Amino acid sequence: MKDFLFTVKENRVITSGVFELTLTTSEVLPSVKAGQFVHLEVPNSESRLLRRPFCLFKTYAHSIILLIAVVGKGTDKLSQVKSGDKLKGIMPIGNGFTLKDTDKKVAIICGGIGAAPLYEIFKNYPDREFFTYLGYKTKNAVYLNDDFAAFSKQITVCTDDGSFGVKGFPTDCLDRDIPMIKPDVILTCGTEGFLKAVKKVAAKHNIPAFMSGEARMGCGVGACLVCTCKLKNKNGEVANKRACVDGPVFPLEEIEL
Amino acid sequence: MKMNVKICGVDFKNPVITASGTFGFGKEYSEFYDINELGGICTKGVTLEPRLGNDTPRIAETYGGLLNSVGLQNPGVDKFIEHDLPFLEGLKTVVIANIAGKTLDDYCEVAEKLSDKKGIDFLELNISCPNVKAGGMAFGILPCSVEEVTKAVKKFSKKPLMVKLSPNVSSIADNARAAENGGADCISLINTVTGMAIDYKTRKPILKNNIGGLSGPAIKPIALRMVYEAARAVKIPIIGLGGIMTAEDILEFMIAGASAVQVGSANIFNPCAAINLVNELTNLLKSCKIDKIDEIIGTLELN
Repeated sequence: MKDFLFTVKENRVITSGVFELTLTTSEVLPSVKAGQFVHLEVPNSESRLLRRPFCLFKTYAHSIILLIAVVGKGTDKLSQVKSGDKLKGIMPIGNGFTLKDTDKKVAIICGGIGAAPLYEIFKNYPDREFFTYLGYKTKNAVYLNDDFAAFSKQITVCTDDGSFGVKGFPTDCLDRDIPMIKPDVILTCGTEGFLKAVKKVAAKHNIPAFMSGEARMGCGVGACLVCTCKLKNKNGEVANKRACVDGPVFPLEEIEL
Repeated sequence: MKMNVKICGVDFKNPVITASGTFGFGKEYSEFYDINELGGICTKGVTLEPRLGNDTPRIAETYGGLLNSVGLQNPGVDKFIEHDLPFLEGLKTVVIANIAGKTLDDYCEVAEKLSDKKGIDFLELNISCPNVKAGGMAFGILPCSVEEVTKAVKKFSKKPLMVKLSPNVSSIADNARAAENGGADCISLINTVTGMAIDYKTRKPILKNNIGGLSGPAIKPIALRMVYEAARAVKIPIIGLGGIMTAEDILEFMIAGASAVQVGSANIFNPCAAINLVNELTNLLKSCKIDKIDEIIGTLELN
């Protein structure tokens, strides 16, 4: 982990309420695992002092690309940055997604912007087969399908209203496909409701699943203990793990939803 | 140009100490810089038994600060001694162990267990955490109970005892005096100010615990005023904290009466805040032509 100084190269709108930031640095960035994140300063803000965590969507030797949804005052400020603006970001933080050698067939199932933490998985594990299921509300909100189609053996895109792809939920499609695909592991990210549905499917078919979580954060480096997630392991032992450095990837069955 | 200060017989290479709750047990920030360059570090509050802490959300951003309701999550004193103390023993900066408890006996037992540990230079008595429902808040409010808990812990503490005062009280001067009467070797103030944040859409508080402690630049004026009042009331040294973000802030607290300062929320905004302050302070003293930093302690002149 290091606090890098970034320069904004590009800020472009992807869809309503979602923008893509490209940040560059003269320093060489370390290699990154899918699921790790950057803790980013909010620029031009003397009053809003906390950093905001964003998953590292795409990473390169001297740049990172972040996909950000405007959900509050900090992300709103970030949506207004211009080319040339400078901001600091601590990265890479977190445990990221780790596959076992035996995880040859990997199901990816995400809701909306939740797919962003999983994009780089194919770079980390170029020799695996990825079966991807993406869910969105409607056609205008679909924006990560091409990125994932480029590396997935199979991709299913669902929209709630049927305006694009399959009408319905990706969890139903995954549930139906599992007997044929037989994935070794399920990787997921999305809202609490989405994760609950994935947890049911994973439990039904007895497939290990891992999720990338989200939490309000303070320091982002494991010192302040505000971002904890309650986990219960197989022995029933409860522990408060830090979403920043112990996570953000946790076994789905251990998370209280 | 000298930055070192001596408090209760302990040498601090500079007056910059990191505040409890913002620095873990020292390991996390070691990845960013050499923490031995700091004047000192305060550990996360340690209780007798392990604590899970409060439910989340435990943090809410405010204008110029943040609210927290962590609730003293810590591994308990025995696990602290086993897992976290070895790292602290290897440090070359002053280590201040912050201790908290639900009852007088709890405090005394933790103090006794830590008192003979060579990695620890001070005990900081946390009687003011506003997040713990039973004990924490109660001990720090009334002067008589401040004196009682200080006196009780002092019996078991072979290390210099620093009592951390709460600002959520009627008279900080009375509480400072109470700590001094109870035998405190020095006092640190202020802890967080009780506060709240509300989500107007859900009509619920943002913190799961409803109420939390406010810290950051927003509380600096309150902290400065209280350090000044406490400094007039007692003879023992004072460590000042509350919203310090710049080297100028450090000078302000020392002028008000603090012999050293603690830096808390600033670490949360920027992992290198504390070490940056040490460097900025060096430059500021040079430009103000202050030869020895301890010359400015308590030099405030009222109008």
